[in-house]
Amino acid sequence: MKELEEKLLEMKDTSELMLDLAYSSLLYHNKEIAEEVFHLEQKVNDLQDSIYTKILENKDIDPDKSFILFKMADSIERFADAALDIADVVLRDIDLHPVIKESLKESDEHMVRKKIRKGAFLDGRTLEESEMTTNIGMKVIAIRRGNNWAYGPDKGVKLKAGDIIFTRGPRDSEGVLDEWIGSPE
Amino acid sequence: MNKKPTEKELEEDHAEIDYKDTSVRELLTLMKDDSELIADLAYAAMVFDNEELAEEVHKLESEMDKMMYLIRLKSMLGARTREDAEQLSGLLQVASAAEQISDAAEDMVSLLDADVDLKPILPHLLKKADEKVFTLKVEEGSDLANKTLGELHLESVTGVRVIAIRDDLRWIHGPNGETKLEGNDLLIVRAHEEGYQKLWPVAHKEKTWEELLG
Repeated sequence: MKELEEKLLEMKDTSELMLDLAYSSLLYHNKEIAEEVFHLEQKVNDLQDSIYTKILENKDIDPDKSFILFKMADSIERFADAALDIADVVLRDIDLHPVIKESLKESDEHMVRKKIRKGAFLDGRTLEESEMTTNIGMKVIAIRRGNNWAYGPDKGVKLKAGDIIFTRGPRDSEGVLDEWIGSPE
Repeated sequence: MNKKPTEKELEEDHAEIDYKDTSVRELLTLMKDDSELIADLAYAAMVFDNEELAEEVHKLESEMDKMMYLIRLKSMLGARTREDAEQLSGLLQVASAAEQISDAAEDMVSLLDADVDLKPILPHLLKKADEKVFTLKVEEGSDLANKTLGELHLESVTGVRVIAIRDDLRWIHGPNGETKLEGNDLLIVRAHEEGYQKLWPVAHKEKTWEELLG
């Protein structure tokens, strides 16, 4: 049962990351991020399959509970599918309608992309040390370092000057974030 | 101040929302924001096994259907050329993704109608999530009472996002900066454990807001 719960949880977290990434790819018309959404979909599907198997194998779960677990996994999988549909728009060779970007910019959930400067507060700090989520409510959804990407980085990841971070969070935190990334030399 | 809404006002609250003068841009923003809210509300309804929250999910879903219809209509009227149509079809795909999310959220909470005891499995399940859903009671006379969310900058200071508020009479979902917290409000919040732990003493009058800000 514990393993089952962990998998369901991982599915939930992954589907949320996919949605954040999908909207971010749309905002910056970024095909690399959009492709990552497709990779993560595979992970969600695998998790779903293994959840279904685990439910069926577990004799301690009565039919009512099985039904609920099936339905939960199904809803989460549909959240992930929605992310896929959004990312798909970015991967087409068609210019995005300008209204899409405008409306994303007005969303409650503010997405930004910032480059970390040398010697800045964030330079050399891990995500956990920066207390970005607890102090300013900002979540890093992706980091680009040169040609490498980290999607949904965990809190032990250390930020470095030159990193480009993609975040989401409240609009009025952007000022603090600007201070934390430092100013260009 | 703290005037309770009359029956009539409550009814109007639930009356049909007219989106006729809402632009495609505004509709898309609303749909995106609502899709995130509805997923949070659905998880909260499951975690707290709460039918009233499930009811809010149903309401929001039917708003979403209306918005989907209108955005489709307005986009079609706006297409003049093939290029317009191609771009607008991308836009509609994004809108339709938001609508799919609300459908899936509604399906999730429809489980609450089934006569099954959810409590033993689900609260456990979401306890370990990165960001969790909590309830938080605002005590009368605490520093949160009689302040708007905007005045407090609650989310940017603590990372705690209020997704719904239950006052004496009703649920308010998706509160904004102008929403005022009152004593005895029950908040449903989405937060990291640390952020929630930071806010809890203030809501319970053990700390002042100034102390939280440090």
